[in-house]
Amino acid sequence: MKKVIAADPGLRAARYPRGAMRGPVMKIEDIAVRYGDCWSIRSATITLEPGVIHAILGENGAGKSTLLKAAAGFAPRVAGTVKIEDGAAAIGMVHQHFMLVSAFSALENLVLGNEPTGSFGRLDLTKARREAEALMEKTGLRVNLDARTSDLAVGERQRLEILRVLYRGARAILLDEPTAVLSPLEAEELYTTLGALAEGGATIAVVTHRMDEVIRFAGHVTIMRRGRTVLSRPIAADERNHPKRLEDELTRAIMGGEPPHEASPPALAEDAEVALSIEDLVLVDAAGKRVLDGLRFAVKKGEIVGIAGIEGNGQRELVRAVAGLEPGVAGAIVLGGARLPAVRSTGDLRKRRRAVAVVHEDRHADGLMLDASVGDNLVLGELDQIDGPAAEAALIKHRIDRFGVNPPDPARRAGDLSGGNQQKVVVARALDRIEASPERALVVLGQPTRGVDVGAAATIHGAVVAAAEKGLAVLLVSADLGELKRLSHRILVIHRGRIVAELPPTAADDVIGRAMLGMEDA
Amino acid sequence: MSSIFSLTMLAESVRIAVPYACAAIGGVWAERAGVIQIGLEGILLTGAFTAVAVTHATHSPTLGLVAAIVAGVALSLGHGQLTERARVHAVISGIALNLLALAATRMGLRALYDSASNSPGIDAFRFGPTGATGGAMLLRVLADPVFFCALAAVAATPFVLRNTRFGLRVRAAGENPVAAASVGISVTRVRLAALAVSGAICALGGAHLAYDQQRFESGMSAGRGFIALAAVVVSGWRAGRAALACLAFGVLEALQIVLQDEVRKTAIGDLIQTLPYVATLLVLALAPRRAGAPEGLGKHAAE
Repeated sequence: MKKVIAADPGLRAARYPRGAMRGPVMKIEDIAVRYGDCWSIRSATITLEPGVIHAILGENGAGKSTLLKAAAGFAPRVAGTVKIEDGAAAIGMVHQHFMLVSAFSALENLVLGNEPTGSFGRLDLTKARREAEALMEKTGLRVNLDARTSDLAVGERQRLEILRVLYRGARAILLDEPTAVLSPLEAEELYTTLGALAEGGATIAVVTHRMDEVIRFAGHVTIMRRGRTVLSRPIAADERNHPKRLEDELTRAIMGGEPPHEASPPALAEDAEVALSIEDLVLVDAAGKRVLDGLRFAVKKGEIVGIAGIEGNGQRELVRAVAGLEPGVAGAIVLGGARLPAVRSTGDLRKRRRAVAVVHEDRHADGLMLDASVGDNLVLGELDQIDGPAAEAALIKHRIDRFGVNPPDPARRAGDLSGGNQQKVVVARALDRIEASPERALVVLGQPTRGVDVGAAATIHGAVVAAAEKGLAVLLVSADLGELKRLSHRILVIHRGRIVAELPPTAADDVIGRAMLGMEDA
Repeated sequence: MSSIFSLTMLAESVRIAVPYACAAIGGVWAERAGVIQIGLEGILLTGAFTAVAVTHATHSPTLGLVAAIVAGVALSLGHGQLTERARVHAVISGIALNLLALAATRMGLRALYDSASNSPGIDAFRFGPTGATGGAMLLRVLADPVFFCALAAVAATPFVLRNTRFGLRVRAAGENPVAAASVGISVTRVRLAALAVSGAICALGGAHLAYDQQRFESGMSAGRGFIALAAVVVSGWRAGRAALACLAFGVLEALQIVLQDEVRKTAIGDLIQTLPYVATLLVLALAPRRAGAPEGLGKHAAE
C-alpha cells in the first residue's frame, strides 16, 4: 500500500495555505446501523481526509448510502464511533433524491434554513443573491437563481444542491450516487468541480456504482459488501495507468468470496424440451425509459436459469412481466409452446398462477399481508380450491412443517415473524401450490433469499431444487452471485434490460461482475 | 332594484364577508404550512362564544376579542399537536375539533346562561355614526376594530408568506416537509407556529360574527368555516384571492338580504336564499381541481 501525501499532517499544512477552506477529517470506526430488524451496516470503518475525492463502491444494499448518512449523522447508529474534526456543522450532504422545494425559486431554495434577514425577519434576498453570485463565480457552479426549481434541469438542480451545501459553510460534502441522474458529460463536469473543491481542501466523499468514475477521479476508494467495509485504500496516480489491474481488484472486492456450494442443481436431461421462451420482451416505463429492451432467452423443463445483474437493470420488471403484472409489456412469453395471453382480469391472473408460481423480490410490498396471520398468508388466493376449514388447516400445517416456519404457529401475525421466516411463508405458498397444480410449468423467483439467514436460505434452496426435479422450469433472479452459481444450470447476465452474457455457473466472479457492469469484453 | 347598487349593499357585503375572510385566511395559514384544516368552523364558533362570554362577564369587548383569539390559538394548536405529534389524520382531528366546539359552546350556553339557543345581549364595539342610512352603516362597518384587525391580517398574510424568513419556512414545510427538515428546519415547530397564526385570525372572524349580532347563538357559524375552505381551494391557496372570493360571497349573501326585502313573501325569495350556496357549488365544480395546492399538504417530514 502506498503512502498518501494527505495523510501526513505536516505536509497537509504546507499544502493548504492558512485561511483556505480546509475540510474536517472524519473518522468512522466500526459502526453498525440497523433499520428495524434489518442490519444495513454490520461493521464499517473509514477515514475521510480532505484533499481527495473518496469513492465508496459496492453492490446495491451493501450499505454505501447508509455509511454516508451515518457520517452525516442521519442514520440510527447502534454501535461504533464517528469522530469529526470541528464538529458536525461543517458537513453537507447531497441526497440521491434532491431535497429541493420545487415550487420555490432557485434562490429561495439556496437560502432555505440559512436565510439572511433584515429587520422583522424580512428576507434579504439581495444579500443572498450577492453571496450566491460570488459563490458561483468561485466554484464555477452556475445556476439560474430566478428560475422556478421545478423548471431546472436535473444537472442544474444538483449544482443548486452543492451550492446550498457550500452556502451553508460546509467544508465536507457527501454525495449519494450523484451521477446516477446525470449524462456522461454532466458527470464529467461534476467530477471536475468536486476535484477542484477537494484540491482547495474540502473533504469530498461520493457513493457510486460506476467503476470507471472511481478509476478516473477518485484518490481513495472504499468497498462495502453486505454491510462491511472490505477494502479501503488510497489510489495512487500511477495506478490510473493500469486501469485493468485496479478494476480487477475492486471487482473482486465488490463480489467477495462466497461460501462453498451447498445445494446443487439436479441433472438436466440432454433432450429436455423448452418450457419457457421469452421473445423480444420490451417494456417502457412512465419516464419513457426502456426498462426491458428486447429481452430473449429460453428455459428448459427441469432447468434452473439464473439471472444476474446490478439492481435496476430490468430484473424486477422481468419477474412482473412473467407474473402477468405488466400489462404494457410488448413481445411474447411462450409457455409450453403456447403464447401466454395478456392478463386482463383477475380470472386471467388466476389461470396464469396455475401454471406459473411467482416470488416477488419485495416480500413486504408484494408477497405478504403483514397484518394477517401466517396461516392466512400461507393459503392466500387459493381458498376456492380448498375443501373446507379442516383441509385448510391441514394444508397450512403441511406447509409450515415442510418449510420449517418458526414459530410453527398459524395464528401468529405475519409481520411479527423474522425476515427469514416471512420469506419461507412466501416461498412455501408459491412452490407448494405450483407443485400440486396439474398445469404446473414454471417458477419465477425474485431475490428469494434476500435478507434471509443461512439456515432459511438452505431450506429455500432445497425447495427450489426439488421443484426443478419435478420438471418445472425455474427462473432465478438474484443479487447473490453465490446463490446463482450454486443453483443454476446457466447464468444469464442482464444489463439495461437486455441479456448481455450467458455464462456457465463455474464462471469466475469477476467475469460475471464485469458483464454485470456492462463491460464489453465479458 | 336600485338598492343593489347602494351604500347599504356595500356595507352589508363587507360586513358579511369578514367572518368568511378571516376563516379563509386562517385556512391559508394552516394549509400553506401543510396541515389540512377542516376545523375552521369549530374555531369560528369557539371564537364567537368566547368573545361573548368574556364580554358579558367583563363588559369589555376588547378583552372578549383577546380571549377569542387565545381560544382560537389554543384550539388550532391542539389540532397541530394531534396531527403533527400524535400523527392523527388531520381530517379526523378536524372533525373532532368541529364536534367539540359545537358541543362545548352548547354546554357553555346552558351552564352560563341557562339557555339552549342563545346568550343574553352584550354591548359590543360601537364606533361611527348612528342612523339607518347606507353611509352610516358603511362607516360603522369600517370603523369596527375587529374589521380593522381582519383587514390587517388579510393584507399582511401574502407579504409575510412571500417576504419573511418565517413565511419561507412555512411554505417550505407545506411544499416539501422532507426537504425542509433536511436543511435543519423543525417542520413541527414551523407548522405549530403557522397554526397559531391560523387560529388567531380565524377566531377573529368568530368574534366579528358574535359582535355583529351582539350575542351568541348556538351553531351561529352555520357552515361559514366550510365555505371559507372552499374559498381557499378556489383561490389556489392564495390569501388575497381567497379574501376576494369571500367578498364575492358576501355580495351574494347581501344581495339575498336586500332583494328579500323587496320580493318578500314571494316564492322567488326562497330561491334567492339559496344563491350563495349554489354559487359555492358552481365555483367548486368549475375550478381546476387542486391547482396550487401545497405539495406536502398532509405529509410529514418523517414517518
